[in-house]
Amino acid sequence: MIRLTVVNLFFNGFFVIYAKWGANKKMANATGELTVKDVNHSYGTGKIKVPVLFDINLHINQGEFVALCGSSGSGKSTLLNLLAGLTKPEQGKIFVSGEEISRFNENELCLFRRRSMGFIFQSYNLLPNLTALENVELPLIFSGVSTKKRRQKATEILNRVGLEGRLDHKPNELSGGQQQRVSIARALVNQPGIILADEPTGNLDSKTELEILALMREMNRENGTTFIIVTHEQEVAERSDRVIYMQDGRVVEKRTRPA
Amino acid sequence: MKLRTALTSVGVMIGTAAIVAMIALSLGLKDNAVKSLENFGNLTELPVEPMYWDEVENRPIPDDERKKLNMKAIQELKSVPGIAAVMPMKRLYEQAKLKVGRREGYIELIGVDVRESADYRKNDIEKGTYLSGSPQEIVVAYGVPRELRDMEREKREERRRNASGGRQSGGPDMWGPPPDMDNQPAFNIVDKAATLIVTREYRVDDEPKYEKKEVRVRVVGQLTQSEGNRYRDMRSVYAPFELIKELNDWVMRSRGDEGSVSPRSREQAKQQNELVFDEITVKVESREQVESVVKALKEKGYEVWSPARELESINNFFFVIQLVLGGIAAISLLVATIGIVNTMIMSILERTKEIGIMKVIGATVFNIRWLFLMESGFIGLIGGLAGLGIAWGAVELVNILGSSSDIMQNMRMGYGPSEENSRLAYIPSWLALFAIGFSFIIGLLAGIFPAIRASRLSALQAIRSE
Repeated sequence: MIRLTVVNLFFNGFFVIYAKWGANKKMANATGELTVKDVNHSYGTGKIKVPVLFDINLHINQGEFVALCGSSGSGKSTLLNLLAGLTKPEQGKIFVSGEEISRFNENELCLFRRRSMGFIFQSYNLLPNLTALENVELPLIFSGVSTKKRRQKATEILNRVGLEGRLDHKPNELSGGQQQRVSIARALVNQPGIILADEPTGNLDSKTELEILALMREMNRENGTTFIIVTHEQEVAERSDRVIYMQDGRVVEKRTRPA
Repeated sequence: MKLRTALTSVGVMIGTAAIVAMIALSLGLKDNAVKSLENFGNLTELPVEPMYWDEVENRPIPDDERKKLNMKAIQELKSVPGIAAVMPMKRLYEQAKLKVGRREGYIELIGVDVRESADYRKNDIEKGTYLSGSPQEIVVAYGVPRELRDMEREKREERRRNASGGRQSGGPDMWGPPPDMDNQPAFNIVDKAATLIVTREYRVDDEPKYEKKEVRVRVVGQLTQSEGNRYRDMRSVYAPFELIKELNDWVMRSRGDEGSVSPRSREQAKQQNELVFDEITVKVESREQVESVVKALKEKGYEVWSPARELESINNFFFVIQLVLGGIAAISLLVATIGIVNTMIMSILERTKEIGIMKVIGATVFNIRWLFLMESGFIGLIGGLAGLGIAWGAVELVNILGSSSDIMQNMRMGYGPSEENSRLAYIPSWLALFAIGFSFIIGLLAGIFPAIRASRLSALQAIRSE
């Protein structure tokens, strides 16, 4: 495994310098506002191209809790990847917090993701060899936060998601719901403006699903963090501020929940 | 640590151990060779002579072109880089007698430049001190006190022996060991007043006449035995230049007083004024510089007859040995390096998903590369440290085996003192540091390609892989 802790012990200082250098590149503070303009996208290279997204236009305000629904193959995961900057759109522009991320290079995207975005996955994607605490510390390590401050921040956020006393457990010693809590804590620890979640409750039973949903809403309310959640589940859609339906690569319906 | 990683480290360990052990062995052998050379004399002290034979043009150098060992030569020698001191010597042209108390004996009186030689000769002093620069002091070689005989007593004893030998022939005195100088206990000569007696011979009407001159001196020190290795040095007595010059002048003047001044003696007198030395010894700063100094001296037209001339060929020989042994060992390290690359690529395949996760949560290309570089660097470093340990163990083992058998003695061909700390192989600190640094760098180099490969992984694809 990658001896993150060991390596970090030696080279934390180096990371701090590097992260500070990275921070010098002017970037607006994460606000959690998001705009998609005329985005078209297709998969595949060369001659055979499979178009997936057509003329997507979206605007999501700061602090919104949005569900992105649609059958499989509708392009919702592709859209999420575009929003995350993991893929670049073929056409169109994407603005996050006022920055056009579709023009960033890979390194700028990395720094941007580190500062402004959090991710929650269906399969949690925790590093199996690190404890819950270390997993949450990971984004802070990359940001060059000092060991002491890092530990304090990670502990604090893990307590907030209800994992007191489980800090030193490895992922395989935790239940699915607990692992997802760790992953939420990891997404939140850098205090990003936006959290992108890909089927966060897909692997959970319905009781845990509700707990996790409640936790995400709570974080959304308390921190004003924008949540964009790709989901199949009706429960998730029902609890969102807004539901965006997608079909065959197009946004077919934007429904705002009656207040 | 995973077994795979550990095994990769073992590869580096074997490579490092092989290189270090090989180089240690050749260093040790070279050291022994140089040491056995040192038994023929101090390697950093080179006697300098004018060159008589031009090796390039293959002809003898005529007298007027030949270098002279005068003050000019001393200045020239001092300008050669690497020479710490230039120590000229001048002998007394007549034999001199040293008398201490009732003992006396013939010695060879040598004048030295006290200021130049003090720093280096001081270490060779066994008893007492070295010349301080005041005029009436002398230092004697190790053999001198053994050379001096109490003539009166010996004559007395001989008479007694003859008297008694008449009655009991074949007595123990006759067949026993003669009172040899080696068996005679040396008396303490240091810090005693002594008299130097120089005799000059001159002829008046073809009748040889002798005149004696006595100089009162003080013996301030005695040199160690190793210093007087060369036989002729055994009876040397060292005194400041001024004394020798004065005595030489006296000897010369007497010859000039003959009345008919021969051209030869006039020439000698002229030489005397020019102050031509009999011998110049240069002290080289360190053994490493001996070769370059010898080369520089030859270019300037001096000849050096010293075992140090062999240093160059010894160095060349062992350089080749080191290259061959180190080269063979380097192959195993090369194989180990490929092992590191292999392990790192395997672990990237295995950790693709982890890399993807880290990229998504904000690790930059730089972060990922750094992690992998450091990991492969540490594989190298751990292997290097372990290898150094093994090499050290092997060297100790070889030395124990070597000292218990007679290898060392055979290697030295019976020369020199059998020192207890002579080693067949040794690891100098620079070699240890080099081995550790080298293995770390090898690890880093081996990690470059895998690290770049890891950082190029698409985050999206990596995170989807299982």
